[in-house]
Amino acid sequence: MTVAVPPAGGGGLPGRSSGSGLADVIDTILDKGLVIDAYVRVSLVGIEVLTIDARVVVASVDTYLRFAEAVNRLDLTQTQDTLPEFIGGITQGVAHNKSKGVAKGVLEAAGEKLQDLMSGYAEEPAPRSRRRREGS
Amino acid sequence: MSSPTKASGAAGSAPAPDDRRAVACYVYGIVPEDVEISADAVGVGDPPGRIQLVRHGEVAALVSDVNVDRPLGRAQDLVAHELLLDEAAAEVPVLPLRFGAVLTTPEAVVEELLAPHHDQFAAALKEIDGRAQFVLKARYAERPVLTEVLNESQEARRLRDRIRSLPEDATRNERIRLGEVITQVIAAKREADTQAVVDRFGDCTVAATVREPSHERDAAHIAFLVENERQADFEEAIEELRDDWGDRVEVRMLGPMAPYDFVVT
Repeated sequence: MTVAVPPAGGGGLPGRSSGSGLADVIDTILDKGLVIDAYVRVSLVGIEVLTIDARVVVASVDTYLRFAEAVNRLDLTQTQDTLPEFIGGITQGVAHNKSKGVAKGVLEAAGEKLQDLMSGYAEEPAPRSRRRREGS
Repeated sequence: MSSPTKASGAAGSAPAPDDRRAVACYVYGIVPEDVEISADAVGVGDPPGRIQLVRHGEVAALVSDVNVDRPLGRAQDLVAHELLLDEAAAEVPVLPLRFGAVLTTPEAVVEELLAPHHDQFAAALKEIDGRAQFVLKARYAERPVLTEVLNESQEARRLRDRIRSLPEDATRNERIRLGEVITQVIAAKREADTQAVVDRFGDCTVAATVREPSHERDAAHIAFLVENERQADFEEAIEELRDDWGDRVEVRMLGPMAPYDFVVT
Protein backbone atom coordinates (compact mmCIF):
# COMPACT_ATOMS: atom_id res chain seq x y z
CA MET A 1 0.00 0.00 0.00
CA THR A 2 1.33 3.44 -0.78
CA VAL A 3 0.60 6.80 0.67
CA ALA A 4 0.33 9.64 -1.78
CA VAL A 5 1.15 13.07 -0.46
CA PRO A 6 0.55 15.73 -3.08
CA PRO A 7 2.85 18.74 -3.19
CA ALA A 8 2.14 21.82 -1.11
CA GLY A 9 0.50 24.95 -2.38
CA GLY A 10 -2.95 23.66 -3.07
CA GLY A 11 -2.36 23.06 -6.74
CA GLY A 12 -2.77 19.33 -6.48
CA LEU A 13 -5.63 19.36 -4.04
CA PRO A 14 -9.08 19.37 -5.55
CA GLY A 15 -11.58 21.79 -4.17
CA ARG A 16 -9.28 23.90 -2.04
CA SER A 17 -9.57 27.63 -2.28
CA SER A 18 -6.50 29.32 -3.62
CA GLY A 19 -3.77 30.01 -1.12
CA SER A 20 -4.67 27.10 1.12
CA GLY A 21 -2.51 24.01 0.91
CA LEU A 22 -2.04 20.73 2.66
CA ALA A 23 0.27 22.31 5.20
CA ASP A 24 -2.51 24.70 6.20
CA VAL A 25 -4.96 21.83 6.53
CA ILE A 26 -2.53 19.90 8.70
CA ASP A 27 -1.98 22.93 10.94
CA THR A 28 -5.69 23.13 11.51
CA ILE A 29 -7.26 19.73 11.75
CA LEU A 30 -4.48 17.72 13.38
CA ASP A 31 -3.85 20.32 16.03
CA LYS A 32 -7.21 21.99 16.66
CA GLY A 33 -10.80 20.99 17.22
CA LEU A 34 -12.59 18.91 19.79
CA VAL A 35 -10.80 15.77 20.88
CA ILE A 36 -13.10 12.83 21.09
CA ASP A 37 -11.00 10.70 23.39
CA ALA A 38 -11.57 13.21 26.14
CA TYR A 39 -15.20 12.19 26.02
CA VAL A 40 -15.22 8.67 24.83
CA ARG A 41 -13.20 5.81 26.11
CA VAL A 42 -15.48 2.85 25.62
CA SER A 43 -15.94 1.96 22.01
CA LEU A 44 -13.19 3.64 20.09
CA VAL A 45 -12.30 1.37 17.27
CA GLY A 46 -8.75 0.17 16.94
CA ILE A 47 -8.44 1.80 13.56
CA GLU A 48 -5.03 2.90 12.50
CA VAL A 49 -4.89 6.65 12.25
CA LEU A 50 -1.83 8.08 10.61
CA THR A 51 -0.58 11.27 12.09
CA ILE A 52 1.87 13.79 10.87
CA ASP A 53 3.94 16.04 13.00
CA ALA A 54 4.48 18.71 10.45
CA ARG A 55 5.58 21.42 12.83
CA VAL A 56 8.59 23.17 11.39
CA VAL A 57 11.47 23.32 13.80
CA VAL A 58 11.75 27.03 14.23
CA ALA A 59 15.15 27.23 15.87
CA SER A 60 17.79 24.81 14.64
CA VAL A 61 21.36 24.93 13.44
CA ASP A 62 20.09 24.42 9.90
CA THR A 63 17.87 27.45 10.26
CA TYR A 64 20.75 29.49 11.66
CA LEU A 65 23.08 28.57 8.81
CA ARG A 66 20.38 29.36 6.27
CA PHE A 67 19.91 32.81 7.76
CA ALA A 68 23.65 33.44 7.75
CA GLU A 69 23.84 32.40 4.12
CA ALA A 70 20.96 34.73 3.29
CA VAL A 71 22.78 37.60 4.96
CA ASN A 72 25.80 36.91 2.80
CA ARG A 73 23.65 37.07 -0.31
CA LEU A 74 22.17 40.29 0.99
CA ASP A 75 25.62 41.83 1.25
CA LEU A 76 26.48 41.02 -2.33
CA THR A 77 23.33 42.61 -3.64
CA GLN A 78 23.74 45.69 -1.49
CA THR A 79 27.19 46.36 -2.87
CA GLN A 80 25.78 46.44 -6.40
CA ASP A 81 22.93 48.82 -5.98
CA THR A 82 23.14 50.05 -9.54
CA LEU A 83 20.69 47.28 -10.49
CA PRO A 84 18.37 47.28 -7.51
CA GLU A 85 15.20 46.15 -9.19
CA PHE A 86 16.80 43.43 -11.21
CA ILE A 87 18.64 42.08 -8.20
CA GLY A 88 15.64 42.54 -5.98
CA GLY A 89 13.69 40.35 -8.35
CA ILE A 90 16.31 37.64 -8.16
CA THR A 91 16.39 37.79 -4.39
CA GLN A 92 12.63 37.56 -4.19
CA GLY A 93 12.77 34.56 -6.45
CA VAL A 94 15.34 32.89 -4.24
CA ALA A 95 13.34 33.60 -1.13
CA HIS A 96 10.21 32.26 -2.72
CA ASN A 97 11.84 29.09 -3.90
CA LYS A 98 13.36 28.63 -0.53
CA SER A 99 10.09 28.87 1.32
CA LYS A 100 8.54 26.45 -1.13
CA GLY A 101 11.48 24.16 -0.56
CA VAL A 102 10.88 24.25 3.16
CA ALA A 103 7.23 23.38 2.80
CA LYS A 104 8.02 20.60 0.37
CA GLY A 105 10.64 19.22 2.71
CA VAL A 106 8.14 19.11 5.51
CA LEU A 107 5.62 17.30 3.39
CA GLU A 108 8.16 14.83 2.13
CA ALA A 109 9.17 14.16 5.70
CA ALA A 110 5.51 13.79 6.54
CA GLY A 111 5.18 11.28 3.75
CA GLU A 112 8.06 9.27 5.16
CA LYS A 113 6.47 9.44 8.57
CA LEU A 114 3.24 8.17 7.11
CA GLN A 115 4.98 5.22 5.57
CA ASP A 116 6.84 4.51 8.78
CA LEU A 117 3.54 4.44 10.55
CA MET A 118 1.89 2.17 8.05
CA SER A 119 2.73 -0.86 10.11
CA GLY A 120 2.19 -1.63 13.72
CA TYR A 121 0.73 1.60 15.03
CA ALA A 122 -2.83 1.26 16.20
CA GLU A 123 -3.59 3.88 18.77
CA GLU A 124 -5.57 6.97 18.10
CA PRO A 125 -3.23 9.94 18.11
CA ALA A 126 -3.42 12.53 20.78
CA PRO A 127 -0.03 13.11 22.33
CA ARG A 128 -0.34 16.82 21.87
CA SER A 129 -3.86 16.96 23.21
CA ARG A 130 -2.93 14.90 26.23
CA ARG A 131 -0.08 17.21 26.98
CA ARG A 132 -2.36 20.16 26.59
CA ARG A 133 -4.97 18.77 28.92
CA GLU A 134 -2.43 18.04 31.56
CA GLY A 135 -1.11 21.51 31.24
CA SER A 136 -4.43 23.26 31.36
CA MET B 1 -30.28 -6.75 7.73
CA SER B 2 -29.10 -7.50 11.17
CA SER B 3 -28.12 -4.11 12.50
CA PRO B 4 -30.93 -1.57 12.77
CA THR B 5 -29.52 1.95 12.70
CA LYS B 6 -32.27 3.70 14.57
CA ALA B 7 -30.00 6.61 15.31
CA SER B 8 -29.17 7.33 11.72
CA GLY B 9 -31.47 9.96 10.34
CA ALA B 10 -30.00 10.13 6.87
CA ALA B 11 -32.17 9.52 3.91
CA GLY B 12 -31.17 6.41 2.02
CA SER B 13 -28.87 4.06 3.85
CA ALA B 14 -25.42 3.00 2.80
CA PRO B 15 -24.96 -0.60 1.74
CA ALA B 16 -25.25 -2.61 4.92
CA PRO B 17 -22.05 -4.21 6.10
CA ASP B 18 -21.84 -7.94 6.56
CA ASP B 19 -21.62 -9.42 9.99
CA ARG B 20 -17.89 -8.95 10.16
CA ARG B 21 -17.07 -5.67 11.84
CA ALA B 22 -15.21 -4.07 8.97
CA VAL B 23 -17.02 -0.74 9.12
CA ALA B 24 -16.96 1.92 11.82
CA CYS B 25 -18.34 5.41 12.23
CA TYR B 26 -16.07 8.39 11.51
CA VAL B 27 -17.19 11.60 13.24
CA TYR B 28 -16.46 15.01 11.70
CA GLY B 29 -18.30 17.46 13.89
CA ILE B 30 -21.42 18.43 15.80
CA VAL B 31 -24.24 20.46 14.23
CA PRO B 32 -27.83 21.39 15.16
CA GLU B 33 -30.27 18.53 14.57
CA ASP B 34 -32.33 20.41 11.98
CA VAL B 35 -29.68 20.60 9.28
CA GLU B 36 -29.94 18.75 6.00
CA ILE B 37 -27.14 16.92 4.28
CA SER B 38 -26.82 17.24 0.55
CA ALA B 39 -26.93 13.85 -1.13
CA ASP B 40 -23.52 14.21 -2.74
CA ALA B 41 -21.59 15.13 0.42
CA VAL B 42 -18.67 12.76 0.98
CA GLY B 43 -15.86 12.46 3.48
CA VAL B 44 -12.79 10.38 4.27
CA GLY B 45 -11.95 6.95 2.88
CA ASP B 46 -11.39 5.45 -0.54
CA PRO B 47 -13.93 5.49 -2.03
CA PRO B 48 -15.07 8.47 0.07
CA GLY B 49 -17.86 7.64 2.52
CA ARG B 50 -21.26 9.32 2.17
CA ILE B 51 -22.01 11.83 4.90
CA GLN B 52 -24.91 11.03 7.21
CA LEU B 53 -26.47 12.64 10.25
CA VAL B 54 -26.78 10.95 13.62
CA ARG B 55 -29.35 12.91 15.59
CA HIS B 56 -29.99 13.16 19.31
CA GLY B 57 -32.21 15.83 20.85
CA GLU B 58 -31.20 19.24 19.57
CA VAL B 59 -27.81 18.16 18.24
CA ALA B 60 -26.47 15.83 15.57
CA ALA B 61 -23.15 14.40 14.48
CA LEU B 62 -21.81 14.50 10.91
CA VAL B 63 -20.54 10.98 10.28
CA SER B 64 -19.65 8.57 7.53
CA ASP B 65 -18.89 4.87 7.35
CA VAL B 66 -15.20 4.16 7.36
CA ASN B 67 -13.42 0.92 6.60
CA VAL B 68 -11.39 -0.08 9.65
CA ASP B 69 -9.08 -2.30 7.63
CA ARG B 70 -7.41 0.67 6.00
CA PRO B 71 -5.35 3.33 7.74
CA LEU B 72 -6.71 6.86 7.79
CA GLY B 73 -4.64 9.92 7.15
CA ARG B 74 -3.85 10.19 3.47
CA ALA B 75 -3.71 13.73 2.19
CA GLN B 76 -7.14 13.23 0.61
CA ASP B 77 -8.58 12.20 3.99
CA LEU B 78 -7.23 15.31 5.70
CA VAL B 79 -8.54 17.59 2.98
CA ALA B 80 -11.92 15.84 2.92
CA HIS B 81 -12.32 16.29 6.67
CA GLU B 82 -11.62 20.02 6.57
CA LEU B 83 -13.52 20.64 3.35
CA LEU B 84 -16.69 19.03 4.70
CA LEU B 85 -16.53 21.00 7.95
CA ASP B 86 -15.76 24.30 6.24
CA GLU B 87 -18.58 23.86 3.74
CA ALA B 88 -20.95 22.95 6.54
CA ALA B 89 -19.73 25.92 8.59
CA ALA B 90 -20.62 28.25 5.74
CA GLU B 91 -24.29 27.30 6.25
CA VAL B 92 -24.77 26.27 9.87
CA PRO B 93 -22.89 26.38 13.20
CA VAL B 94 -20.42 23.49 13.46
CA LEU B 95 -18.29 22.22 16.34
CA PRO B 96 -15.35 20.64 14.51
CA LEU B 97 -13.69 17.51 15.85
CA ARG B 98 -9.99 16.97 15.45
CA PHE B 99 -9.08 14.60 12.63
CA GLY B 100 -9.32 10.92 13.44
CA ALA B 101 -12.36 10.47 15.68
CA VAL B 102 -13.86 7.04 15.06
CA LEU B 103 -16.53 5.19 17.04
CA THR B 104 -17.88 1.72 16.51
CA THR B 105 -21.44 2.46 15.41
CA PRO B 106 -23.99 5.28 15.04
CA GLU B 107 -25.54 4.02 18.28
CA ALA B 108 -22.23 4.51 20.04
CA VAL B 109 -22.08 8.08 18.69
CA VAL B 110 -25.40 8.77 20.40
CA GLU B 111 -24.76 6.93 23.63
CA GLU B 112 -21.17 7.95 24.20
CA LEU B 113 -20.79 11.30 22.50
CA LEU B 114 -24.09 13.10 21.90
CA ALA B 115 -26.18 12.05 24.90
CA PRO B 116 -23.63 12.68 27.66
CA HIS B 117 -22.69 16.12 26.28
CA HIS B 118 -25.96 17.16 24.70
CA ASP B 119 -26.42 20.34 26.72
CA GLN B 120 -22.82 21.50 26.34
CA PHE B 121 -22.91 20.92 22.60
CA ALA B 122 -26.26 22.69 22.23
CA ALA B 123 -25.00 25.69 24.20
CA ALA B 124 -21.74 25.85 22.25
CA LEU B 125 -23.61 25.70 18.93
CA LYS B 126 -25.76 28.65 19.98
CA GLU B 127 -22.66 30.56 20.94
CA ILE B 128 -20.90 30.13 17.58
CA ASP B 129 -24.04 30.64 15.51
CA GLY B 130 -23.43 33.48 13.08
CA ARG B 131 -19.66 33.44 13.59
CA ALA B 132 -16.81 32.00 11.56
CA GLN B 133 -13.08 31.53 11.97
CA PHE B 134 -10.36 33.12 9.87
CA VAL B 135 -6.65 32.42 10.11
CA LEU B 136 -4.12 35.14 9.39
CA LYS B 137 -0.70 33.93 8.26
CA ALA B 138 1.82 36.71 7.96
CA ARG B 139 5.45 36.12 6.95
CA TYR B 140 8.36 38.53 6.81
CA ALA B 141 9.89 38.90 3.38
CA GLU B 142 13.45 37.67 3.69
CA ARG B 143 15.42 40.57 2.32
CA PRO B 144 13.64 43.40 4.16
CA VAL B 145 13.64 41.61 7.50
CA LEU B 146 17.32 40.69 7.29
CA THR B 147 18.15 44.28 6.43
CA GLU B 148 16.16 45.40 9.47
CA VAL B 149 17.97 42.94 11.68
CA LEU B 150 21.39 44.11 10.49
CA ASN B 151 20.41 47.72 11.05
CA GLU B 152 19.18 47.00 14.57
CA SER B 153 21.74 44.54 15.87
CA GLN B 154 25.34 45.54 16.32
CA GLU B 155 26.28 41.93 17.07
CA ALA B 156 24.75 40.78 13.77
CA ARG B 157 26.77 43.37 11.85
CA ARG B 158 29.96 42.43 13.67
CA LEU B 159 29.45 38.73 12.93
CA ARG B 160 28.64 39.43 9.31
CA ASP B 161 31.85 41.43 8.88
CA ARG B 162 33.93 38.71 10.50
CA ILE B 163 32.33 36.00 8.33
CA ARG B 164 33.07 38.01 5.21
CA SER B 165 36.70 38.50 6.13
CA LEU B 166 37.51 34.82 6.74
CA PRO B 167 37.25 31.60 4.71
CA GLU B 168 33.90 29.85 5.05
CA ASP B 169 35.19 26.76 6.85
CA ALA B 170 36.78 28.95 9.54
CA THR B 171 33.55 30.66 10.52
CA ARG B 172 31.04 27.91 11.17
CA ASN B 173 30.57 29.01 14.78
CA GLU B 174 30.16 32.63 13.76
CA ARG B 175 27.61 31.71 11.12
CA ILE B 176 25.62 29.67 13.61
CA ARG B 177 25.75 32.54 16.08
CA LEU B 178 24.69 35.02 13.40
CA GLY B 179 21.70 32.85 12.54
CA GLU B 180 20.82 32.56 16.21
CA VAL B 181 20.93 36.33 16.65
CA ILE B 182 18.73 36.76 13.58
CA THR B 183 16.28 34.19 14.92
CA GLN B 184 16.10 35.99 18.26
CA VAL B 185 15.59 39.41 16.72
CA ILE B 186 12.88 38.03 14.42
CA ALA B 187 11.21 36.31 17.40
CA ALA B 188 11.04 39.66 19.19
CA LYS B 189 9.61 41.32 16.08
CA ARG B 190 7.08 38.48 15.76
CA GLU B 191 5.94 38.94 19.33
CA ALA B 192 5.49 42.67 18.89
CA ASP B 193 3.80 42.41 15.50
CA THR B 194 1.50 39.61 16.66
CA GLN B 195 0.36 41.64 19.66
CA ALA B 196 -0.12 44.70 17.46
CA VAL B 197 -2.31 42.71 15.06
CA VAL B 198 -4.40 41.24 17.88
CA ASP B 199 -4.94 44.71 19.32
CA ARG B 200 -5.67 46.22 15.94
CA PHE B 201 -8.36 43.63 15.16
CA GLY B 202 -9.93 43.74 18.59
CA ASP B 203 -12.79 45.95 17.47
CA CYS B 204 -13.96 43.85 14.53
CA THR B 205 -13.44 40.35 15.97
CA VAL B 206 -15.04 38.37 18.78
CA ALA B 207 -11.90 36.55 19.89
CA ALA B 208 -8.35 35.75 18.83
CA THR B 209 -6.06 32.78 19.43
CA VAL B 210 -2.35 33.11 18.76
CA ARG B 211 -1.00 29.98 17.08
CA GLU B 212 2.55 28.68 17.23
CA PRO B 213 4.66 29.96 14.33
CA SER B 214 4.90 27.50 11.46
CA HIS B 215 7.95 29.07 9.81
CA GLU B 216 11.08 30.85 11.02
CA ARG B 217 10.06 34.04 9.25
CA ASP B 218 6.49 34.07 10.53
CA ALA B 219 5.39 37.55 11.57
CA ALA B 220 2.02 36.45 12.95
CA HIS B 221 -0.10 33.29 12.96
CA ILE B 222 -3.45 34.07 14.50
CA ALA B 223 -6.96 32.60 14.40
CA PHE B 224 -9.83 35.08 14.67
CA LEU B 225 -13.49 34.49 15.43
CA VAL B 226 -15.58 36.94 13.43
CA GLU B 227 -19.29 37.77 13.42
CA ASN B 228 -20.72 37.22 9.95
CA GLU B 229 -22.09 40.75 10.07
CA ARG B 230 -18.62 42.14 10.69
CA GLN B 231 -16.88 40.13 7.98
CA ALA B 232 -16.69 43.11 5.61
CA ASP B 233 -15.10 45.25 8.34
CA PHE B 234 -12.66 42.47 9.09
CA GLU B 235 -11.65 42.11 5.45
CA GLU B 236 -11.21 45.85 5.18
CA ALA B 237 -8.92 45.78 8.21
CA ILE B 238 -6.88 43.03 6.54
CA GLU B 239 -6.44 45.19 3.45
CA GLU B 240 -5.33 48.12 5.60
CA LEU B 241 -2.82 45.86 7.31
CA ARG B 242 -1.48 44.75 3.92
CA ASP B 243 -1.13 48.37 2.85
CA ASP B 244 0.67 49.34 6.05
CA TRP B 245 3.10 46.44 5.89
CA GLY B 246 3.70 46.71 2.16
CA ASP B 247 6.55 44.56 0.89
CA ARG B 248 7.83 43.93 4.39
CA VAL B 249 5.33 41.19 5.22
CA GLU B 250 3.35 38.80 3.07
CA VAL B 251 -0.18 38.39 4.45
CA ARG B 252 -2.39 35.40 3.73
CA MET B 253 -5.91 34.90 5.06
CA LEU B 254 -7.61 31.52 5.30
CA GLY B 255 -11.33 31.18 5.83
CA PRO B 256 -14.13 31.39 6.55
CA MET B 257 -13.75 28.01 8.21
CA ALA B 258 -15.20 26.06 11.13
CA PRO B 259 -14.09 27.44 14.52
CA TYR B 260 -11.33 24.88 15.12
CA ASP B 261 -9.35 27.17 17.40
CA PHE B 262 -12.32 28.24 19.49
CA VAL B 263 -13.81 24.96 20.61
CA VAL B 264 -12.38 23.68 23.84
CA THR B 265 -12.47 20.18 25.19
